Amino acid sequence: MSPRQATAAERESVDEGPNPLGLDGIEFIEYATSKPQALGQVLERMGFRPISRHRSREVLLYRQGDINVIVNAHSSGSALTEQPVINAIALRVRDAGAAYRRALERGAWAVPARVEVMELNIPAIHGAGTSRIYLVDRYREFSIYDVDFTPIPTVDPHPPAVAGLHFFGIVQYIGNDRTEDWNEFYATLFGFQAVPDAQRFGILPKGRILQSPCDGFFLQLIEPEPGVLDIDDDECLQRIGLGAPDVPAATEALRARGVEFVAVVGDPAELRGALTRTAMGSVTFELVHNLRAA
Amino acid sequence: MSQFEGNFDDFGMDTISLAGPLEAKLAAIREAGFSQVMLAARDLVGHADGWQAAVAAVRASGLRVTGFQVLRDFEGLSGHLHEYKVDIAKSMLEMCHALDCRLLLACSSTSVHASSEADALVGDLRKLAMLAIPMNIKIAYEALSWGRTINEYPQAWDIVAQADMPNLGLGFDSFHMFATNTPLDELELIDPRKLFLVQLADFMWNEIKSVEERMATARHFRVFPGEGVHSQDLAALVLKLHQLGYRGDYSFEVFNDDYQQIPLPTVAQRARRSALWLGESVLRRSVPLPNRIRLKQRVRV
Repeated sequence: MSPRQATAAERESVDEGPNPLGLDGIEFIEYATSKPQALGQVLERMGFRPISRHRSREVLLYRQGDINVIVNAHSSGSALTEQPVINAIALRVRDAGAAYRRALERGAWAVPARVEVMELNIPAIHGAGTSRIYLVDRYREFSIYDVDFTPIPTVDPHPPAVAGLHFFGIVQYIGNDRTEDWNEFYATLFGFQAVPDAQRFGILPKGRILQSPCDGFFLQLIEPEPGVLDIDDDECLQRIGLGAPDVPAATEALRARGVEFVAVVGDPAELRGALTRTAMGSVTFELVHNLRAA
Repeated sequence: MSQFEGNFDDFGMDTISLAGPLEAKLAAIREAGFSQVMLAARDLVGHADGWQAAVAAVRASGLRVTGFQVLRDFEGLSGHLHEYKVDIAKSMLEMCHALDCRLLLACSSTSVHASSEADALVGDLRKLAMLAIPMNIKIAYEALSWGRTINEYPQAWDIVAQADMPNLGLGFDSFHMFATNTPLDELELIDPRKLFLVQLADFMWNEIKSVEERMATARHFRVFPGEGVHSQDLAALVLKLHQLGYRGDYSFEVFNDDYQQIPLPTVAQRARRSALWLGESVLRRSVPLPNRIRLKQRVRV
């Protein structure tokens, strides 16, 4: 056995600080579906615009403001379902390679990369259910889309967001008694912290809310209702939460675009949150009152 | 056998007590009135039609899988040995997940290549538990009485408590406790919610003198609770666990060379007698439990 280099961690223990990966928000959220056009229509009603196409796969990038949503209809191994599922979140980090190695060291599962020539190898780990978590560090000077995607001609690559919408968070459905497990997962791998139970946003005052160490977004973990025992295998990323500085204005603007809402919370003049009617059997968005920190 | 006899749903058999193919073991366990079974990785990978066929057989049996065993010598390794063990652990977790089994048993390392530093053991067990989280699997860490650093359950509990992972708890085997004469009172220090599995076995001699004899006894001469000379201690142990609030599963971890050469139903009946003794004579459960929905236990196929 060759002599091993002593790592710094063996000489001194240095506190990594609250944001060890330099987490800096969500780069994109990806849906997988065998009905990409139908999902595209749902997204366009929500204010998204198709921006560019993947070079080698049936994958489209939609955008509004700085929210990127990817629609993946490229079946790779596992069969796609008509009902869209959120199959990936991409997190912005300081150094994707370092963040990836740090996560694996702490017990994350690596997702084997399947890249074509001249495409970016974006590291990913397994997340809830069949979803994965990408780690992206190219989002400032140039973006991952510059490499892997071809712009759709004549389309504005930076369409403004409807009513100031921005990423607010993700709702994750988890199994019975799984809150502590997933809390530990996000805390250990990324530095998320639980917010006090009294602090709640949006439409659902339940579950556990985790705040990202960059203060940029939230994860809400929701267990089945008490007494429901047999669905604990269904763990998934359930919906996207979008922040809006003025929820009534946002719901009005979206209603005008054909979006229906099933639940609104708060006084009509001062809404705190709203939930869109589920489309395609699974796609729903939650609006949450939020003045963007940035 | 009446359907009102046998209030022992939390007691299960282990396939290692029986000889023969997996399907025959499952059938014998089921026939004896048990509702759960502890499986070993060998049961799956040694199946003539491949491990997926074994998974299908387990599902078809209707038996709940108590746990999956056993990940050995995981903690304390470094460099390439550590990488190798992580790969082994992942394979075990994948099989465990395929079985819908929620518990993987990991026993304390016997390896002379492993570190004895608590920090290293804690770090590795945290990593193992983290690997298990996305698959909804709990890790039960058990002190083997011939483990190199961790060989008594209070030590294993210290490591589990330091690692502080929600899905990492203690696996407890009565054999090892009796073999090392660890006091029962130490159990009071353990949070019963972090006790993930209790394995029970008796044996025929009063005293075990050497580590070699301990290993030989553990691997060849165990018997079901009530069949050996430690029955009163086992009864006291089960009562103590119940008193402390343990409501999880009990599995009969009985390695016995004789049981490997007698008919499966005979062995399963011995296990049933043991479960009846513990459930009804020791824990004094009423049969059936009041206000409890009961399905008929035996389904003739």
